[in-house]
Amino acid sequence: MSSVPPSGSIVITARNVTLALGHPPARVEILRGIDLDVTAGESIALLGPSGSGKSSLMAVLTGLERPTGGEIKVAGFDIARLDEDALAVARRGRIGIVLQAFHLLPTMTALENVAVPLELNGANDAFDRARAELEAVGLGHRLNHYPAELSGGEQQRVAIARALAPRPTVIFADEPTGNLDTATGGQILDLLFARFAESGATLFVITHDPELAARCGRVIELADGRITAERRHG
Amino acid sequence: MRLAWRLALRDLRAGGRGLWLLALCLFLGTAALAGIGSLASSILAALDDQGRTVLGGDLQMRVSQRRATVEEAAAFSAIGPTSETIALSGMAQANGRPAALIDLRGVDERWPLVGAFRLQPGALGNRPTGLSAAIGPALAERLGVRVGDTITIGSARLKVMGLIANEPDQLGQGFRLGPPVIMDLAGLDATRLLQPGSLYQVRYRMVLPPGADPTAVGKKLLQRFPNLGWSIRTPTDATRTLRRAIDQLGQFLLLVGLSALTIAGMGVGSGVGAYLGGKTRMVAMLKVLGARSGLIATIFLLELGLVGLTSIAAGLVLGAFVPAIVAAIAGDALPVPPRLGLYPAPLAIAATLGLIVALLFALPALARARAVPAAALLRDLLATRSRPSTRVIGLMVLLVAALVALAVLTATDRLLALGFVGATAGLLLGLALLGLGIRRAVARIPRPKRPLLRLALTNLHRPGAQTDRLVVALGLGFSLFVALVTINSSLGSEMRDAAPAKAPRFFAVDLQPEDQASFRAAVARAVPGGRIELAPSFRGAIVAIKGERVDRMNPPPDSWMLKSDRTMTWSATLPPRNRVVAGRWWSPNYNGPPLISIGQDAADALDLKVGDSLTLSVLGVDVRARIAAIRAIDWSAMGMNFAIVFAPGYIQEAPHSFLATIYGPDNRDGEIAASVAKSLPSVTLIRTGDIISQLSEMIGRIAVAIRGAAAVTVAAGTAVLIGAVAASGRARRYDAVILKLLGASRAQVLGAQAIEYLLLALLLALVALIVGTAAGWFVTAKVFDLAFTPDWAAVRSRWSYRAW
Repeated sequence: MSSVPPSGSIVITARNVTLALGHPPARVEILRGIDLDVTAGESIALLGPSGSGKSSLMAVLTGLERPTGGEIKVAGFDIARLDEDALAVARRGRIGIVLQAFHLLPTMTALENVAVPLELNGANDAFDRARAELEAVGLGHRLNHYPAELSGGEQQRVAIARALAPRPTVIFADEPTGNLDTATGGQILDLLFARFAESGATLFVITHDPELAARCGRVIELADGRITAERRHG
Repeated sequence: MRLAWRLALRDLRAGGRGLWLLALCLFLGTAALAGIGSLASSILAALDDQGRTVLGGDLQMRVSQRRATVEEAAAFSAIGPTSETIALSGMAQANGRPAALIDLRGVDERWPLVGAFRLQPGALGNRPTGLSAAIGPALAERLGVRVGDTITIGSARLKVMGLIANEPDQLGQGFRLGPPVIMDLAGLDATRLLQPGSLYQVRYRMVLPPGADPTAVGKKLLQRFPNLGWSIRTPTDATRTLRRAIDQLGQFLLLVGLSALTIAGMGVGSGVGAYLGGKTRMVAMLKVLGARSGLIATIFLLELGLVGLTSIAAGLVLGAFVPAIVAAIAGDALPVPPRLGLYPAPLAIAATLGLIVALLFALPALARARAVPAAALLRDLLATRSRPSTRVIGLMVLLVAALVALAVLTATDRLLALGFVGATAGLLLGLALLGLGIRRAVARIPRPKRPLLRLALTNLHRPGAQTDRLVVALGLGFSLFVALVTINSSLGSEMRDAAPAKAPRFFAVDLQPEDQASFRAAVARAVPGGRIELAPSFRGAIVAIKGERVDRMNPPPDSWMLKSDRTMTWSATLPPRNRVVAGRWWSPNYNGPPLISIGQDAADALDLKVGDSLTLSVLGVDVRARIAAIRAIDWSAMGMNFAIVFAPGYIQEAPHSFLATIYGPDNRDGEIAASVAKSLPSVTLIRTGDIISQLSEMIGRIAVAIRGAAAVTVAAGTAVLIGAVAASGRARRYDAVILKLLGASRAQVLGAQAIEYLLLALLLALVALIVGTAAGWFVTAKVFDLAFTPDWAAVRSRWSYRAW
């Protein structure tokens, strides 16, 4: 049940996206007119210092945050106009998210964590696919462990498996190694990029690490809520 | 739905422990309701079973101060096997000890027609005959006699042939002043206590042919022997008063239990709130993964439902066993042993109320969990703590309506239930407002300079503080305790104060007219200067009001004055402690058509005015009298008072005896009793102190039941307190870490929390003192119409104990 679109088609479109929080006089402009087009299969790094608006841009692109203005289309869905439930359905199987703090479901085992998005998507073979996905990230021996029984690196592997299991159109990863030591972080990135290459999805990585950004095909730099530079690698 | 089930079970399996507070509160609340309901049902069922036994037959005909005529007795015997018993009060003496007041019964050879009369092992035969008597164990102890010894009652010396183990119709005898003594009719004749005008009651119990309707048979007998003072009683009537008392007490306790359940509901709210509050990021993540709000709500509803239903089921099991538990540990305190069994109705009511309360209080937290946005993954959102939506509020209003409707509709006295629910709701609302007020007031207090005290104080009003909730949860139970102590001690001091200062030391009954001089002399020997009040007395019943027969009135008036025959007197002068509030008292030498004066309470109950007429049946003779005066009577002094007083004249011809009261110092009771018993053994002396003790004991028993119910509300409140501490655990740990980072010692961190709970305990104690005292004042002054004089030392000791 892959939702990966043909290579070269547009999967993300953002036009004049703005985001402001709070009320005058304490109103803060977070995003100030973002325009963006992302084609299927791209790997993009969103680079910028703290407070530049990277995570907020990811939040509006994934529907976690409603933009103040502008238009957003992700995998064919008008993300800016959908309500909470419609956004949940839109994300289902199409958008995979990996967060810095892992955010695994603490009362479910690794296998159940990975199976949940598949079950929500109505897959009959959810547990078989979840098992395969966990074996692919090297956690075949930790299937029935709860998050509290896993190391940070293992938890992030489960999170990657969970994000990739439904074969999403786009994978968003927000500082995926921020909570890990350098060695483990390196392994997680290798895994993330390897799984990305196999899946054919679009990868959108938020980072302030130029080395990580260098591994992506396209780097978008953000400062003070605006795109300030953009470059492509080989 | 299957996915929701799977996810709910998965979440419960690893995280269900967080719902312990929900489980505990529902278990406690449901068990209390189911237990009280089952106990009341089991006692009522036992009374249903024992109706015939309590009455002593299928039909009872009762008359005062005379035995059936030959014609009457023949008519009763023609219906079926008939037994005759005669009951009166008397005095028993033995071994030179002070005479003891007894409840004396003479029974014929057929008694008891229903049930079995049993004596304790060691008796000299199966039943008393001739000059022998069976006596209650309490009397044997008091007089220091054993089986085979002799006691004196009236003019007879009787051998104690056994100690009573079971008197089957004991409950049907009504309020007893002393321990029972049973003898046959020959023995009773030998006592010579049955004199013209003596106060005694004669009962004829009959066993009817199968299928006969006791009420119809009784009415036919009344038609055959009208206006002769007969009253009928059926097995249903025999247990009616007790049924009503148990039903009302059960209902009251059930409503207190409902209050406990409501308080437990707050614990449910706290517990569910804390549980779902800890799931915010999980909910957000599920939404990120594609779960809709409806699915989230269904998952948690299933989780709460599973835990809630299990707890309610456990509560029902415990509640169902309460009759057996109470019978095992406090069976003697119950009027009848409960009929053990499963009573589905109270269990069903308890389960339904438990479910409604659980849903009502869990709903806001469920609605908040449903509304958690996916963005909560990124930051804590204050929006998730917003007020419930109109839809949720509407649903809660419906649940409250269902709760009230169920509580009121399942009650036998719906008006009382509605009043109680209204009062409890008002009290809870008042406590809620008080709690909110305290929280706001604390917020306005200038911040102390000491940081730990400042922290303790701010903990009482900071966002998420449970102060107002705890004031409601624990305030009700504590207030009930304070109210009980103030009422109890007010009643106690009222009785204590009244007895020595104003009340007589003794009431004397069955004093024959010719014995007045001997009586005065006997009292004077024991207490020279003692005061005696004497009044003629006879029994009569109101049979017509303003010329209309009471038994033909539609609807029949429901007044205490008409329930049975009453003791009356005549007097030329206005009796002491009485004052005329309407009409005029007759002249001292009045000698005209019968006139009466009635008490104001009786006049109000029967809607009577000066000039109206009452027809009274006195020993089978109808006397129609005009009301000349209405009196206000001061009952508080416990002196001799009569609701109906005749003007002297024609009525003086009626057979009568005298009633007397003896006033004297409080240290001569023994001498008075001995002197009167020696001179006039047929006179019955009733010590005022004994009546007060019996009343105190009765009040004490009811107070124990109410205290038990109050304890359940405190237990529920304590669960809420524990829940509140648990719910704020995360915030407290955070505070502790920060304080330690800033240099606070372990003792200082603990000290800050101790100060906070000390302040909270003081606030709760203050609330309980104010609310409980107000409620105690209302019940004492407005319901009992007594002076509110609580024992503040007792209140203080209970109050400080509860506060801690």
